[in-house]
Amino acid sequence: MGSTDAVAAVQVANLPSEMFSIIKTSGTIGPRLGCLRLAGRQVLETPHFLAITSRGVVPHITQDSFAGATGISGVPPDGSSPLRRFIALPEPTLLVLGARRTPPVFAPSANPNTNTSVSICTSVGFRPMKAADYAEGVERLQPDIVVGLGDIPYGRALGAKRIEKATDRNIEWLQSHVKARNDAKAPKGSRSKLFASLPPVSCANQQYYIDTLTQDVAKDVDGLAVYDMVSLEDLPEQLRHLPKLAFTEPSTPHEILRQISLGIDVLTIPFLTAATDAGIALDFTFPANSSEQEAQPKILGVDMWLEDHATSLQPLVDGCKCYACTNHHRAYVQHLLNAKEMLAWVLLQIHNHHTLDLFFAGIRQTLRNGSFEDNVERFAKVYETLLPEKTGQGPRVRGYQYKSEGPGEPKKNAAPFQTFDDKKEKLAESTPPSAEAGAAELEELGFAEKQT
Amino acid sequence: MFMPVATQASLKGLTPKQLEDTSCRLCLNNTYHLGLKPGQKTLDAIGGAHRLQSWPHNILTDSGGFQMVSLLKLSRVTEDGVRFLSPHDGSPMLLTPEHSISLQNSIGSDIIMQLDDVIATTSPDHERIKEAMYRSVRWLDRCIAAHEKPESQNLFCIIQGGLDLELRKECCAEMVARDTHGIAIGGLSGGEAKDAFCKVVGTCTQLLPERKPRYVMGVGYPEDILVCVALGADMFDCVWPTRTARFGNAVTVDGVFNLRHANYAYDFRPVEEGCKCTCCRPQEEGGLGITRAYIHHVAAKETAGAHLLSMHNVHYLLELMRKAREAIVEERYPAFLKEYFLKLYAGDKEKYPQWAVDALKGVGIDLLSV
Ligand SMILES: [Zn+2]
Ligand SMILES: [Zn+2]
Repeated sequence: MGSTDAVAAVQVANLPSEMFSIIKTSGTIGPRLGCLRLAGRQVLETPHFLAITSRGVVPHITQDSFAGATGISGVPPDGSSPLRRFIALPEPTLLVLGARRTPPVFAPSANPNTNTSVSICTSVGFRPMKAADYAEGVERLQPDIVVGLGDIPYGRALGAKRIEKATDRNIEWLQSHVKARNDAKAPKGSRSKLFASLPPVSCANQQYYIDTLTQDVAKDVDGLAVYDMVSLEDLPEQLRHLPKLAFTEPSTPHEILRQISLGIDVLTIPFLTAATDAGIALDFTFPANSSEQEAQPKILGVDMWLEDHATSLQPLVDGCKCYACTNHHRAYVQHLLNAKEMLAWVLLQIHNHHTLDLFFAGIRQTLRNGSFEDNVERFAKVYETLLPEKTGQGPRVRGYQYKSEGPGEPKKNAAPFQTFDDKKEKLAESTPPSAEAGAAELEELGFAEKQT
Repeated sequence: MFMPVATQASLKGLTPKQLEDTSCRLCLNNTYHLGLKPGQKTLDAIGGAHRLQSWPHNILTDSGGFQMVSLLKLSRVTEDGVRFLSPHDGSPMLLTPEHSISLQNSIGSDIIMQLDDVIATTSPDHERIKEAMYRSVRWLDRCIAAHEKPESQNLFCIIQGGLDLELRKECCAEMVARDTHGIAIGGLSGGEAKDAFCKVVGTCTQLLPERKPRYVMGVGYPEDILVCVALGADMFDCVWPTRTARFGNAVTVDGVFNLRHANYAYDFRPVEEGCKCTCCRPQEEGGLGITRAYIHHVAAKETAGAHLLSMHNVHYLLELMRKAREAIVEERYPAFLKEYFLKLYAGDKEKYPQWAVDALKGVGIDLLSV
């Protein structure tokens, strides 16, 4: 972006194409290869994905591992995360700030959104957050992209009345936010890009809001945040050039491909951390590996809990170049999962993000050479439709999964084992022998011999 | 030297790379835990604990006896070994010195420990303490006989004898005669008075050969370690720095701070000013520049919060030991100790712990002098 006010006026007209340019597209509604350029950040080619953070960290991964061992290009932190420096996010990484978690939390009906506020889940329960406070706060925090606050109902069927209400609120909130930004007169180049939230209904169903977007604030909105693919079906021509950021919770790589083929540019992928927590190392490539002709569809991930891995010195996924696969093997990850050591999830998270990174690189490559559609078809044939079922236990419930449902809710984590005498720190640190270890098993382990 | 404890072949969520970055070159694994998971067969198949965790540096393992005795309600020590009831089906089991060594041979740790008869120093039963000491000596003989890889794995004996200095002296003589690669002082840090603890350490170190490493087991508070160094001990291990990190505690030159406290919510200084760990080092110097406010924000809510503090705390202890070594080489360890205590107690000598002052006086260091 330009850095002087003198050229700012000229740039306004070209703003979307400058920040976001479409390199190649195959039709009005269709997949597209694009490029997102933000001051100071690494250029992000799209389609791409954002890693999801909680409290400013990608779950399980400390910031140094993040920079060193993953290829993560952008992250939308949860609503509670402030400055880039505060969360120690590497400089080249794109930072997106929004009010809603991905995946979202279902708000009890006792905590509805109002005309001036949304209900957000905080560490002390549901609290209202004023739209005006949000607009002011995010502008101060200066992420690269701000997702405008939307009244985005979640988890309930939407009646015409509720949609009308949401439409009115979204118009009001967006216009106020835009006005506040324009009044602030911050140099355009240094300012966050504003993405407007599209409620999860068709455009026809929220016509007044769409009119606002195409007319009143057309030059003030830099992109769209999409919560349901239905909004793209009748997206008017005037909004198609905008970069589209999806908070649509795709549950499989097939679904990612489908959303990209409908014109999504950047996605958030909750199944990534879900797979990590389930002990699953994702294992798929795009295009699907062509050398193999298999009778059975290939699995999308390897369940690291399986006993078979106990002595396997293979990487999590053969040929993978990630930190976890080049330094460690399945036996270690299986051991760590079994022993409930946090490092298990650290290594899986690194691997899974790497897998997705390559998956998106493959998507962009095929868009570039025109083989995307063919390869989507092939991918569907080669791979199973669903991720493997989770067999083992996940980590203890932490911030990123924690959803307060108010008083009286059941305990999220069973109380840890109580030692007989926990005076000594060392003992408290130890895990007792697992309940499943029988005498015969202990003997087989070579741990001790059974007495007769 | 300080050894962080990676109980089950991983140090609280840190990758081996991150552990290496803290400058750690020797860490501790627990035989008891590795014996249960992944178990001896698996360890044999994989080729030991180094390969299991891709750790290219040194590993020390304990014998497993300590956990056995402390964690299992119905364990009983007999001449054969530690008898206990299987936690699952209640059938009687026996852990012998031979089992412990065989398991440690499979683990392939660089330093292995003998199985000893562990008894709390606070036990009122003097006869039992005496029995435990002699039995530990006999078990050492069985461990030496059972040890299959003396050329690649260094066996350490463990001096027992409770707080009875005569018993300790006798144990030293017996065990030194058996010429193991290194010597541990065991049975301490179980709640005994600090001055009694120092007396035991000081008594043993005087009797031990100059050229063998001396390891005081389970000691990890910085003050305890620095005093033990003055008394002539070389190696220490403790879970405290990583365990305390889980509760949001940062270990620093100025003492231990709980960053969960509301005071730190808007404290934008690094965890410890001037610290060179990955967590504290400013971003300009390739670190993360993590602030106290950020740790406050994530502590106990995200696992990465504990990882970050673990990195700092382990680095702190390793760095403290590096400075101690430097001071010893430059023949200014007494001055180093004085400086350390002065800073820790913010110049208030009234607050110095009496046991530390007395113990150091015993080796000719007057902590209170300027
Ligand atoms: Zn990998
Ligand atoms: Zn530090």
